[in-house]
Amino acid sequence: MHKEKSDILGNLAQAVIDMDVTRASKAAAEAIISHIDPYEAITDGLARGMDVVSELFENEEYFVPEILLCADAMYAGIEVLKPHFPKEAASNKKKVVIGVVKGDTHDIGKNLVKIMLDNAGFEMHDLGRNVPYAKFIDTAGELNADLVCLSTLMTTTMDGMQVVIEDMKKAGIPARVMVGGGPISPGFARNIGADGYARNAAEAVKVAKSMFQGIQIPLAMKTPELVSIRKKLGGVQ
Amino acid sequence: MTPKERMAAMLQGKAADRLLVSPLILNFASRSLNLPVRSFCTNGKNMGDANIACFKKYRHDIVYIFSTTSTVAEAMGTRMYFPEDDAPQVETPFLQTREDIRKLTPADPEKDGRIPVYLEAVKRCVDAIGDEVFIVPVIGAPFTTSAALRGTETFIKELYTDPELVHAVMKVATQSVKNIIDACVKAGGVPVTVEPIATGSMISESHFRTFVLPYLKEVYAHIHSYGLPGVLHICGKTKRVIACMAESGADILSIDAIDLQEAKALVGDKVCLMGNVSPADGMFKGNPEIIATMVKDCITKAADSPKGFVLATGCEVPIKTPHENLIAFLEAGRRVARLPVNLN
Repeated sequence: MHKEKSDILGNLAQAVIDMDVTRASKAAAEAIISHIDPYEAITDGLARGMDVVSELFENEEYFVPEILLCADAMYAGIEVLKPHFPKEAASNKKKVVIGVVKGDTHDIGKNLVKIMLDNAGFEMHDLGRNVPYAKFIDTAGELNADLVCLSTLMTTTMDGMQVVIEDMKKAGIPARVMVGGGPISPGFARNIGADGYARNAAEAVKVAKSMFQGIQIPLAMKTPELVSIRKKLGGVQ
Repeated sequence: MTPKERMAAMLQGKAADRLLVSPLILNFASRSLNLPVRSFCTNGKNMGDANIACFKKYRHDIVYIFSTTSTVAEAMGTRMYFPEDDAPQVETPFLQTREDIRKLTPADPEKDGRIPVYLEAVKRCVDAIGDEVFIVPVIGAPFTTSAALRGTETFIKELYTDPELVHAVMKVATQSVKNIIDACVKAGGVPVTVEPIATGSMISESHFRTFVLPYLKEVYAHIHSYGLPGVLHICGKTKRVIACMAESGADILSIDAIDLQEAKALVGDKVCLMGNVSPADGMFKGNPEIIATMVKDCITKAADSPKGFVLATGCEVPIKTPHENLIAFLEAGRRVARLPVNLN
């Protein structure tokens, strides 16, 4: 006998909140067996769990180790679900290029933002750390990116953010830019011409979402209509 | 008073002419001899001489010897990357696998990593300016050292997944820190410790209690055995962990992104506070007027802290800080921090 759908979705969410990789994979496998739409398993299961994690982080009940482990659980669940995605799934995700600017190798903050934005439905392209300025501009151009996220923990590399923003403008790249990191303040972000600033990873989601409000199509939309379209297309295994 | 007399008076609770004014001049000292940071921090003579020149130029109240928080880990085998003109950063952590713990041994300060560079710098400074000012080598504390040995992300996840390994690494790291403290004291320095990876935006108070505090206590007990004061610097947001910091046995807490009034209310009756003009918005990107306002704000909030107050920057003075901004900090500090403090 299959478990109730709501139980499985609840388990997926709870496994993420509890930082439990094994339970997340198991619940994802159950979702497949029970013919739950893999997108739904993500949005109403894993991602819902991650939303709670984000709240716990904002309320300072969860810190960096917790988020990293919750993300591990989330990605473990996604790995199980991934082979069952319908092939023709078109992506309406906003494309985000993210990286730590040249001269700095501290990347935990950047990784947290990447996890949170990924969970919030953005398509993430991670350039890593110590990224040359031109790499941001080239990648944003190639991908036709919507948003470029620049991070640094060091005062010595702060000015590099301005170089990236100016060079992007010169190159005619229309992507917006969000900046953040230890030494960065809203005032500094404004001064260098960034479109957004976020204090932490949870705030980064709010800022990014507000940038695209009105035009953003949430990924993995799961209105009854779309769910039935997916079914017709054979999207549900 | 000389900076040394002033600091001694403060530590002994005697009358001083003013509060200590101590911008955290670390790699910034390299600017005084126009040295790129790499040649400053990899050569004891350069590191010492630049700090001597820097002191003669600014006469700040404490001379720090420092390049990065990962120097202890480096001495234990973590490979660093040395940018031409910036602080070294971790390239490859030593503990690539759990089993590598068997190869981990406490650092030998006489020969491992760049500890000999630090020690030479300390000795040169002690010889040249040690009569006037305390020479303070700054050492990564056990948790920060362990994170640099294992890779920070892996390490902090292991607080949950492999606490046994965390404690094993912490034990060896603590021994290293103590060895290096011994060597610094022998060289005539007054060692202080920094634990930025244990900042409140990184880990919870409960993890701080379990994994950080016992080892910090061991470190400060060791420093106290020499009759020296314990100084704990943690930058970033520390509101969540400052109560624990005050339990570590450290006599002075150097803090960054926390309101001084709040810090005073939380732990002012237990420890001396030190801080916290913004390094980025103040020292680096600010101007003399902004900095003077920030200095006055710090002193207004904390000069009456029951266990004392040291005017400092929240974290390292950025290497690109304009000369006039540092002068503004020192002048405003010396003016406003005269004792008894008169804020008008």
